[in-house]
Amino acid sequence: MCERSLIETKLNAAAAAHKLPDVVIDDGAQLGTFKKQGIITEVDKSKITGAGQVSATAWKSVADDKGATYGVPFSAQANVLLIRSDWLQKVHMQPPTTWDQLEAVAKAFTTQDPDGNGKNDTFGLDVPGSTQRGYLSWYWSNFLYQAGGDFLTPTGSGGFTSTIGSDQAVTAADFLKKLYCTDKVVQPGALNQVTTDTNKAFQTGVAGMYLTGPYAYATTDATAVKGKYAVVAPPAGPKGVGALAEGTTLYAMAGSQRSADFATLASYMVSPEAQTTGMTGVPTATIVRLPINTTVDAAEVHGGDPRWQTAQDVYAKSSTYEPVSAPDWQTYRNDASETLNKLLSGCGDSKQALAGLDSTYRSLLKK
Amino acid sequence: VTRYRWATPWLFLAPVLALFGVFKFWPTIWGMYLSFFEVRPYLGNRWVGWDNFTTAFHDPVLRSAVGHTLLDAVVTVAASALLGFGLALLLEGPARHLRILRTAAFLPVVTAMVAVAELWNTLLYPGSFGTVNTLLGHLGLGAQPFLSSPHSSLASVMLVQVWKSAPYDMVIFVAGLAGIDRQLYEAAAIDGAGARHRLRHVTLPALRPVTTIVLTLGIIRGLRVFTEIYVLTGGGPAGSTETIVTYTYKEGIQNNTLGLASAVSTVLFLVTVLLTCLTLWWRRRKEA
Repeated sequence: MCERSLIETKLNAAAAAHKLPDVVIDDGAQLGTFKKQGIITEVDKSKITGAGQVSATAWKSVADDKGATYGVPFSAQANVLLIRSDWLQKVHMQPPTTWDQLEAVAKAFTTQDPDGNGKNDTFGLDVPGSTQRGYLSWYWSNFLYQAGGDFLTPTGSGGFTSTIGSDQAVTAADFLKKLYCTDKVVQPGALNQVTTDTNKAFQTGVAGMYLTGPYAYATTDATAVKGKYAVVAPPAGPKGVGALAEGTTLYAMAGSQRSADFATLASYMVSPEAQTTGMTGVPTATIVRLPINTTVDAAEVHGGDPRWQTAQDVYAKSSTYEPVSAPDWQTYRNDASETLNKLLSGCGDSKQALAGLDSTYRSLLKK
Repeated sequence: VTRYRWATPWLFLAPVLALFGVFKFWPTIWGMYLSFFEVRPYLGNRWVGWDNFTTAFHDPVLRSAVGHTLLDAVVTVAASALLGFGLALLLEGPARHLRILRTAAFLPVVTAMVAVAELWNTLLYPGSFGTVNTLLGHLGLGAQPFLSSPHSSLASVMLVQVWKSAPYDMVIFVAGLAGIDRQLYEAAAIDGAGARHRLRHVTLPALRPVTTIVLTLGIIRGLRVFTEIYVLTGGGPAGSTETIVTYTYKEGIQNNTLGLASAVSTVLFLVTVLLTCLTLWWRRRKEA
C-alpha cells in the first residue's frame, strides 16, 4: 500500500470524460471499488494463455463476490516479519514464532538497550498506526488473520456479512492494544505514522520488528541496517501463522475497444518471462514482488535469496487477502483504521469498539 | 469611440476574469451542483436531493471536526494577531537592523507549509530523545507526547500554525503602524499621556481597519486549515485533529463519496461568505 490518490483522481477525471485507458495496473484492493464505479469489465480467463499456471489463490483475489473474474493478477505478496538480528543477539533471544514470543522480544528490545548506546531509545514494534488510507487496519489485519478472524465473510450467494465483531477479532485487537497500551513496546508517535515514517524508524534503529511486505527488502538494503536484519514468517496467533496477502492487478477498463488485445497483454504479463523481468528489471524496486505464475520461483530468480523463499512460503501457506471484492472495500478499511486508532489512543474496550465497527459495517452492507 | 468607453475597464479585467472564471467560479458552482448527487464519474451521477447534507449534519465525526476547526480558528487567529502585534511594536521602524530582524521573523511565512510541518514533526518527536523534549528535559520537565496524544495534538498543531502565521500578521500591523500620524503621538505626549495610554488611545484605535483585515484573513485561513494537519497528524490520533477540510478530503478522495464532500465544501463556502460579510458590515458600522 502506498500513496495513490493521484492515480485515483486521474481515473475519476478520465471516467467522467468517458476516456478511460484500455488497461490499468493498480492495487488489487481497488477491485470492489472499481467494480462499483462500473469502470472495469469482466475478464474471460479462457482467452488468456497460461491462465492455468497462475496460482489459484491469486485468481481468487480477482474474483467478485459471485465468483466472476474482474482482473488478472500480476504480482502478489504476503507480509513477513523484518527483525534486527544484531539486537536479537544482544538480548540473547531467537526470532519469535508465537504471539507470546513476539511480546517477549518486543519487551526486551524496548528495555534492554539492544543498540548499546546507553540510552533508552529503542522500541520493539514498528507500527504504521495512522488512519490515513487505512494504514492501521492494513497492519492489524496480520493479527486478525493470526487470530482466525476476518473483516467480512462472503455469504456464498453473493454479498457479505460482517464478522468484525467476532471473538477472534476482539482477541486480535486486544493483542495489539496490550502491546501498545500495557507493554508500551511500540515506537513513539505510531498513531500518526504512515509507512514512510515506519520505514525510517526501522532503518534508523528506532524499532526492531517490522511487519511489512517483501518490497521492503530493496529499500532497507539501501540503508545502514543492511545485513543486520533477518526475515521470518509472522508469528502464530491462536489460529496459527497468518499474514495479510496483497496483489497488483491488471484491470480491463470499461469502454475499451481493444478487449482482444487485453487478453494478449494479460497472457504476456502472467508469463514466466514477464514475471521474471518484473522481479529483477528494476533492482531498486521489485515491480513483481512474488510471482503469481507457479512455474516461477522467487528465491531462484533473486539468486537464491532465502528471504524471498520465506515470503513465498508465507504467501502460499498462511496468507489471506482482505475482502477486496466488497463494494468500496477502502471505506471498510478506513473505518477499521479509525476504530483501532481510537481504541489504541484511548486504551479502551476492544469488544465495545469492534461492536461499534460491526454496526457501521452492517449499515454499509445494506447500502 | 466614446460610446464604448464603458468597455475599457472590462477589457483590462478580461484576462484575469477569464482565468478566475475557469479555475475558481466555475469549479465552485460545479461543486455546489454536485452536492445534490451521488457522484459516479463513469455511470453518471444520481440525483439524491438533500441526502448528502442530511448525512453530513448527522455525522458525529463531522460535528467534532467542526468543533476542532472553530477552536483552532479562534485560538490561532487570536494568538497570531496578538503575537503579530507584539512583534510589530518591537520591530517597527526604519532602522536597518530592524529590517533585518523583520525579514528573519517573516521567513516562516514564505516557507512552504509542507516543509514547515515536516520540520515541526521532527522537532516535536514524542520520544524523550525528540528535539523539543530534549530541551524540556534540560529544564527538568518530562517528555511530552505532543502530536501523538489526542489530549495535546490539537494544541501542538495550533502551535505550528501560530508560528507560521504570526509574522504574516506582524507585517500587516507594521504597515498599519507606519500609517499612523506621528503628530498624534506627540500631541498625546504633550498632554501627558504615558506609553501605555498612547498605545491604548492612539495606536489601537488607529489600527482598527488593519485589525479587521488580520482577523478576516485569519478566520478564512482557520476555517480551511488542511496542509499542516494533513502532514502532521492526518487528522489523528483518534480523530482529535480532524477538521472540516481533512474530513472533506477523506470522504472525497479516500472513501470516494465526492457528493458528500461537495456538500460539506458548499456549506463551508457559504459559512465563510457569511462570516466575511458580517465582518465587513461590522467594520463599516464601526468606522461610520
